[in-house]
Amino acid sequence: MTEIELSTAEAELYDRQIRLWGIESQEKLRAANVLLIGVRGLGSEIAKNILLSGINSLTVLDNGIVTEEELQKNFLLNQESMGSNIAEAILTKAQALNPLVKLTTETEPVSEKPDKYFQTFTIVVATGLSSKQLVRIDSICRNSNVQFICGDVFGMFGYSLADFQEHEFYEDQVKLPTKTKRTHEGKPTETSEKTTVKIQRKLSYPPIDQVLPTSEKKIVKSGVPGKTKRCNELYYLMRLLIQFRDQNNRDPSFNSKEDDLKKLKEIREEIIHRYQVNEEKLREDVFNLIFGEVVPVCAVVGGVIAQEVIKAVSHKEVPIHNLFLLNPYNFCGKEQIVGA
Amino acid sequence: MSPSTVPCVLTEKVREIIPTSKILVVGAGGIGCEILKNLALSGFADIEIIDLDTIDVSNLNRQFLFRKEHVGKSKAMVARESVLSYNPNISIKAYHDSVTTQEYGVNFFKRFKVVLNALDNRAARNHVNRMCLAADVPLIESGTAGYVGQVEFIKKGLTQCYECQPKPPQKTFPGCTIRNTPSEPVHCIVWGKHLFNQLFGEDDPDQDVSPDTADPEAAGSAGLNAAASETETGNVQRTSTRQWAQQSNYDAAKLFNKFFKDDIEYLLTMENLWKTRKPPKPLNWREAASHEGDADNSIDSVRATDMQVWPISKCAQVFASSIDILKEALSKKEFLVWDKDDKPALDFVTACANIRGHIFSIPQKSRFDVKSIAGNIIPAIATTNAMVAGLVVLMVFKVLAEDYENCNSIYVRQKSIHSNVVIAPDYHLIKANPKCYVCSPQPYVGVSVNVDVMTVKEFETEILKKTLNMIAPDAILDGKGVFVISSEEGETEANNDKKLSELGIVDGSILKVDDFLQNYNLTIGVNHYVAKEKDDPPYKVVADVDDLKPSVENGQQNGSTESSEEKHSKMEVDGNAGDDDDDLEIVDKPDEDDPQEGTSSKRRKLNPPEDEDDDLIMLDDP
Repeated sequence: MTEIELSTAEAELYDRQIRLWGIESQEKLRAANVLLIGVRGLGSEIAKNILLSGINSLTVLDNGIVTEEELQKNFLLNQESMGSNIAEAILTKAQALNPLVKLTTETEPVSEKPDKYFQTFTIVVATGLSSKQLVRIDSICRNSNVQFICGDVFGMFGYSLADFQEHEFYEDQVKLPTKTKRTHEGKPTETSEKTTVKIQRKLSYPPIDQVLPTSEKKIVKSGVPGKTKRCNELYYLMRLLIQFRDQNNRDPSFNSKEDDLKKLKEIREEIIHRYQVNEEKLREDVFNLIFGEVVPVCAVVGGVIAQEVIKAVSHKEVPIHNLFLLNPYNFCGKEQIVGA
Repeated sequence: MSPSTVPCVLTEKVREIIPTSKILVVGAGGIGCEILKNLALSGFADIEIIDLDTIDVSNLNRQFLFRKEHVGKSKAMVARESVLSYNPNISIKAYHDSVTTQEYGVNFFKRFKVVLNALDNRAARNHVNRMCLAADVPLIESGTAGYVGQVEFIKKGLTQCYECQPKPPQKTFPGCTIRNTPSEPVHCIVWGKHLFNQLFGEDDPDQDVSPDTADPEAAGSAGLNAAASETETGNVQRTSTRQWAQQSNYDAAKLFNKFFKDDIEYLLTMENLWKTRKPPKPLNWREAASHEGDADNSIDSVRATDMQVWPISKCAQVFASSIDILKEALSKKEFLVWDKDDKPALDFVTACANIRGHIFSIPQKSRFDVKSIAGNIIPAIATTNAMVAGLVVLMVFKVLAEDYENCNSIYVRQKSIHSNVVIAPDYHLIKANPKCYVCSPQPYVGVSVNVDVMTVKEFETEILKKTLNMIAPDAILDGKGVFVISSEEGETEANNDKKLSELGIVDGSILKVDDFLQNYNLTIGVNHYVAKEKDDPPYKVVADVDDLKPSVENGQQNGSTESSEEKHSKMEVDGNAGDDDDDLEIVDKPDEDDPQEGTSSKRRKLNPPEDEDDDLIMLDDP
């Protein structure tokens, strides 16, 4: 217990958040080792938020190169970093956000990392991956009790998807006094003070391959079609965009807009067919909104994902179970349970 | 300027105007830092930022444009440099200044396409609201508190303004609760702060800490013998507490015995107070210092010194040691100002509050908790600020597209087991309150006040400035042409100490008030009113005259603005506001000086305006 006890300097730095989630949560954060895969627009937001929260260590893995486009949407980069590896290029600015966190970088592609690499972390956060890699890393994490969350931003749309397995957590519930009294009525045995009780809860998360099935058989088995009636249509938009990435090895690009729109429409047809999605609910015009990582959307989704990471490692507060979908038109952000 | 940073998914028209749209960000705190980053990375190239605050260590967990070496520097200036370091191609103008000063008039505001509020206090929010209405510039208002936050669009003639709905008042406590009959930890903490000010701070007669013999509840019980004992117990009435403390050279034992033994013994003589209450138990210095339960945890860890409740012996010890340090500090200054971040000042209040709590059988609090309550700290985290600031800039895109109908308010909520909505937009814009005393075509407010007691100066300070949030008002008595208050220095100084009735302001009088800076004209209808009960407010301010008639309990449902005193009877229940996270109330950043507050009474404020924690935002975190 003593080695994770907070120093006075840490208590001072993290004062405003300790007042929200308590010192126990801060101590759990202080012990957490986080792997972040992908530090582009969304990844840089997640990195910022979890560095600020005061975890023990952050490893940033990205084998990409800094391009002009990257420079424009990533505040952890600067002009001199053009052409260098992104993970390495963000190091200085990221470290400056919180010198107390051990920050390391990895420049290898994630596909070349052996299974055991992922097992040393408390939680793995993935952005920009193919469904194959998401499913692979999640299954490794499941086998070694490592929590997992992933997410992406496509234009004005964004999502996050968590696998916290059998997640136990507690939440503080504020109990109001049954009777309130006026100061001058003077019943000294009663107090109008609020009391806080800890409520213990548990949520079961389905594995990622039940949310992003790699074969049709699995979909049927996992019962997703049964849920289609009430399922948020944005789930299918997410599936569609990940499928585009799987097939093209990249995200839809504004530079090849016409071409990519054609491909997106084809995938849409296929998904509508496969899952019997109401065509009106997955309209083609949404494709105009999904190009590029829009920075303020990254800020919103990066805030959501980092908050889920904090909940996951501190085992405190109700996490999103298991999918978060951000509506690209009105920015309504909803939880959707898929695959359970 | 590189226009390619503008998001490609926006319409051609919006993409074109973004680089040249001049944006004002008011506040460079938690939300402000995030907004600046989002603007700079979305192609905005003409940004101005204003903040009068400097950087504190406790900001660094979320105000990510600042680092340790920046502590003490201007937030606006450092934020500007920090943003330019990753995008040197844009123009950012920074003002280390208060937005409520004369330099930032209507013409200043008119230069902007959109104004973004990222403030931490209601007074500044009210002011910017009026400036944007006067300049007819769209305003996006935002704030966070802990896990929750909100973004609201305000445009003249289209939506409600920031002041259309009354905001919950700041908590106040009647003087006799603080001085005679505390029943909650907060009462002891307020008393501890007042004691600090009595001993070391600036003199404020409203912050007396000694027994209140005028407590009507005690009537008939204290009487003459109490007055007799008064002389022996330190001559409370004749010498000030401060003088007496100085004469005894701030001797800890003497001070302790006066406040925790003699004064308590005196309170016990006011027998009526203790008929239905548990009477307090006086405690003397010797007893306290060797008090049982002395498991003094000598480990100096954060948990031990900050998170655990100190035993009484430790309180006594800290009482003495903090007095020594504060006495020393006072010898170099005229007076000290209580500051939650000043360790001896916080230690002193923690010790005093807990000793008093012990005496009155009230639960004691850790130093960490005392700091929250005494400093009125609103927790603030990076993630909520990031989400809210993202939503602010997404709303800017819609404003630039003139897609106002879709600029609905949007709320960030804490995830609960009962709800699947984390970010919740409203379904429609909220229309203006036709009786709003700020944005309606003929703003009108009713003021009930004792015209034979209140002076012109009090009227100006308490009602026009603190309650109605004006900066530099002029007031004329309608029909008579009497110039009552002038914003020009010296012009109406002769009126200051006159009672309102001496100038002819009586029941039924109409005052025409004008704030030139805010371009704001207000008609005030005066009602003569005499407070009868001790809990009655000294004055009332209501936007809708009809609201003067219903009882206090109805006050909250209607669209009126009322002084906090009026709601006093509901105070004890108002802790409920935060516990239902489906409740989309305005999340105000509460560590602020509440403009609805009246201070001329004997009512105790939890947090006097001078110690607001500017740190927040919301309307958060800054």
